[in-house]
Amino acid sequence: MLTKDKLLEFYRGMVTIRAFEEEVRKMHNAGLAPGLVHLYSGQEAVGVGACAALNSDDYIASHHRGHGHCIAKGSELDRLFAEIIGRRSGYGMGRGGSMHIYDPATFNLGTNGIVGGSVPLATGAALSAKLRGTGQVAVSFFGDGVLNQGILFESLNMAALWSLPVVFVCENNGYGEFTEIDDVTAGRPYAKRGEAFDIPSEKADGMDVLAVHEAVSKAVTRARNGDGPSFLIFDTYRYSGHHVGDKQEYKDDEERELWLSRDPIPKLADMLVAGKKIKQAELDELDAKIKVTVIAAANQAKKMPEPDADDLARHIYAA
Amino acid sequence: MTDNLTPDQNSAILDRMLLIRRFEEMLIDLAGDHNFGHYHLYIGEEATGATVVESLTETDLLLTTWRNHGHLLARGADPGRMVAEILGRADGYNKGRGGTLHLTVRDVGFLSTSGLVGGAVGLASGAGFALKQAGEDNICVVFFGDGAMEEGVVFEAMNLASLWSLPVLFVCENNNSGAISAQEGGFPSSEIAASRISDIPKSLNIKSELVDGADVAAVHAVIAEAVGGMRKGSGPAFIEAYTERWPGSRPLWPTQATGVTQLAAAWDPSLITGEYAGWIDEFDPLIRFIRNQLDAGVLSQDELRERDSKICDQIAEARAFGEASALPGPESALDGVFAA
Amino acid sequence: MPPDSQQTDRNLTLKDAVLEAMFEEMESDQNVILIGEDVGAAGGVFKQTEGLFETFGADRVIDTPISESAIFGLAVGAAMAGSRPIVEVMFGDFLTLVMDQLVNQAAKVHYMSAGGFNVPLVLRTGIGVGGNLGPQHSQSLHGWLAHIPGLKVVMPSSASDAKGLFKAAVRDNNPVIFMEDRMTYNLKEQVPEGEHIIPLGSAEVKREGADVSIYAVARSVHTALAAAEHLQVKNVSAEVVDLRTLAPLDVETIVASVQKTGRALVLDGGYQSFGITGEIAATIGELAFDYLDAPVMRLAAPDVPVPFSPALEAMTVPSAEQVVAKVTGMYGGLD
Repeated sequence: MLTKDKLLEFYRGMVTIRAFEEEVRKMHNAGLAPGLVHLYSGQEAVGVGACAALNSDDYIASHHRGHGHCIAKGSELDRLFAEIIGRRSGYGMGRGGSMHIYDPATFNLGTNGIVGGSVPLATGAALSAKLRGTGQVAVSFFGDGVLNQGILFESLNMAALWSLPVVFVCENNGYGEFTEIDDVTAGRPYAKRGEAFDIPSEKADGMDVLAVHEAVSKAVTRARNGDGPSFLIFDTYRYSGHHVGDKQEYKDDEERELWLSRDPIPKLADMLVAGKKIKQAELDELDAKIKVTVIAAANQAKKMPEPDADDLARHIYAA
Repeated sequence: MTDNLTPDQNSAILDRMLLIRRFEEMLIDLAGDHNFGHYHLYIGEEATGATVVESLTETDLLLTTWRNHGHLLARGADPGRMVAEILGRADGYNKGRGGTLHLTVRDVGFLSTSGLVGGAVGLASGAGFALKQAGEDNICVVFFGDGAMEEGVVFEAMNLASLWSLPVLFVCENNNSGAISAQEGGFPSSEIAASRISDIPKSLNIKSELVDGADVAAVHAVIAEAVGGMRKGSGPAFIEAYTERWPGSRPLWPTQATGVTQLAAAWDPSLITGEYAGWIDEFDPLIRFIRNQLDAGVLSQDELRERDSKICDQIAEARAFGEASALPGPESALDGVFAA
Repeated sequence: MPPDSQQTDRNLTLKDAVLEAMFEEMESDQNVILIGEDVGAAGGVFKQTEGLFETFGADRVIDTPISESAIFGLAVGAAMAGSRPIVEVMFGDFLTLVMDQLVNQAAKVHYMSAGGFNVPLVLRTGIGVGGNLGPQHSQSLHGWLAHIPGLKVVMPSSASDAKGLFKAAVRDNNPVIFMEDRMTYNLKEQVPEGEHIIPLGSAEVKREGADVSIYAVARSVHTALAAAEHLQVKNVSAEVVDLRTLAPLDVETIVASVQKTGRALVLDGGYQSFGITGEIAATIGELAFDYLDAPVMRLAAPDVPVPFSPALEAMTVPSAEQVVAKVTGMYGGLD
């Protein structure tokens, strides 16, 4: 049974990510966040539920829709904003941008611009952790598009062969860019891709933070006990489409409304209020506080300078 | 069990198996006289290739790997021009540019032979796509080894074949069993976490069968059924044909571990001797098939001797042709980089 | 222990020199691991990792499936997490299979993380023409890699250099591609025992000369040295500069040599079009034009796939005779 504090931690995490992404949207629309930004709004339960099952020194590797994972793993909001808008105080001095945020302090192996990029990175970190006997676990977050990438299959095979402490977390939001995943993916259910390698595999509700937390906790325990990898698929939804500016003409209203009705944030709020753990007014107050914190972080980032010409060629090689 | 094949078919399969065996045995000898690099033999797997082609038509397409001699011969490639190619001569099928690793014969339906593990499998889905678009009932067969199942491209190609219901027959020739083990300082064969290789295509909703690749009738039964379905549009199929690895198969250069095959071993146990007698007696697909045909009364010892002798003559001619073929002119190295 | 380490005669092959470097580095740093196809119990397809498995065990000498892309991707993740992997890619041709992980991940992580993460790993691979392996097992693709910022590219020509450069590569905190021409595997020379480090980015003049500088890496260095002998007969004194690493490139040594000789020929086993010969020639043109007595010349592999046939294969490798012809051409012909 999860404590009230833990449940509130989930709530805070999800609301923070939602508020953060709203600010990113505004920044993008205002021309401050250039390039492509992919928002995590709608998928918060997966990142929050999964990262809450990890120790601070466990690894994560993320993907192009990765702000939520960075926040859930504990990165600083102002530095995240700074990176997304290309400021010098960002995690990559503004040279990586949204799709390339790395944070060694939170053992985050990075968001990633390549579909499937997180999969071998997390698997390799798990190999290293196992060889060094550190007890760390690694989680690879990836989207449904990766279900069709050969590197997933190669990595699942090695993770299973060597019983590596890695959890493969597929966030199935139904679309790879603008294409429905079911139109381009053979074999049902998709969990069979893990089962084929004798990896414990299951599908769970990605719109329910408790379900995610439970499934990932089990997988993490298995990994930490030396029992090898797990393959998890969470069905979820991206409210903002592939990237900010995607008109989402490929979705219909019925579908949108169905998924909005399953939104993980009100779902958890209703449960907390119904269970008399907290009053709605207190949650509203919390929401407002979080919003203030997020906006303050955004404003802080906007004040930061851009990188200068000397930063262009820094860090190409390590010393 | 030979019920599912006609006597003519069995006879043709036996001839192909003999041709492949004698060709490969000749190559071991040829390698003593010429240096043509690292090569791979099909000994021990003849029943698979010789039988698969029985279900194919002239217009079907094929792709294979570095272990291609058996597939090419089974489809009717000229052994003389194959020897020429293996020796890098001008009369070779690829004018000496491919050698054994890339030996390919368009005339008998082969699109490509890949020197990279899994390399042909992606092409096979593409060929299947083109065949489907063309709207005929032709199919594409791709042969590959168990190691290919470790390459991501194979998984990607199978996903597409399944998704688009492409007429591709994936034939995984699994000769892992009996491979010199890592413990003995040899090379492991495949390293796959799946309990069965066929679990992987199954996860992609591809119909998958497992068959003893050294049993002609069994191979024919699964291939004929799969191919029949594919021609009617049922989509891809995956056949894992497993064989007990021929003891002469070595990481770099094969050795004549079981000697030049004595066909009489099929009826005279005293001829089965040596360190690998067990393999010959139990696993050699050629000996197994000869016994089967003799038992069925459709083949006599004399007839077998006669046919073998003809095939041996044919192989000797092929060797002579290849050895007599000239090396290509050095200036030809620069030709043909781009199509006209 | 490596096969030759107990010998008082320290004449080692290049292959054994690298093996010795691997033994020493794995011994001194627990985090160094070796990962690749058949590198373990089998000791490598060319016996280039023999004995490591027995000494360091299956945890540190790891046999993998044939999954080049994921193997290399795993190594990048492991390096970010604190291991120091040495990854074997059996043939340089198979770099095509690891290019995404190499170029889009390994090369950029340090930069994108503003120095937050390092990717200390060595990708070791055998390259070059020889042994009639045909078009998919004979390529020299080093020019591709040297083009990518964030990668270091090392190409030893001799056993002693190979040991010193390999040890430096393992200790480097960046992704280093260590490319050996298979045709140099069995070249022997005296190799220093124990600690012997050659910093990456240091070229070496392998033969002093006064009239022409010949620049090369790996196997081509030997071609250049053989050509220099022929040229001596024609009273041309050739200097042979072994670049040893393409990235970082030792521009200082390159320029100093041509400032002395006034003539330059750049030689390479890779393709000429958009390859390293053009890069070195342009560097000389930019930095030493005033010292040149003749245009900088290039000699590289012809732009064709490497054919299998023994009659054709040799044509794709620049020969000492061709070097001599090029150099004499710079003098308007000599006899």
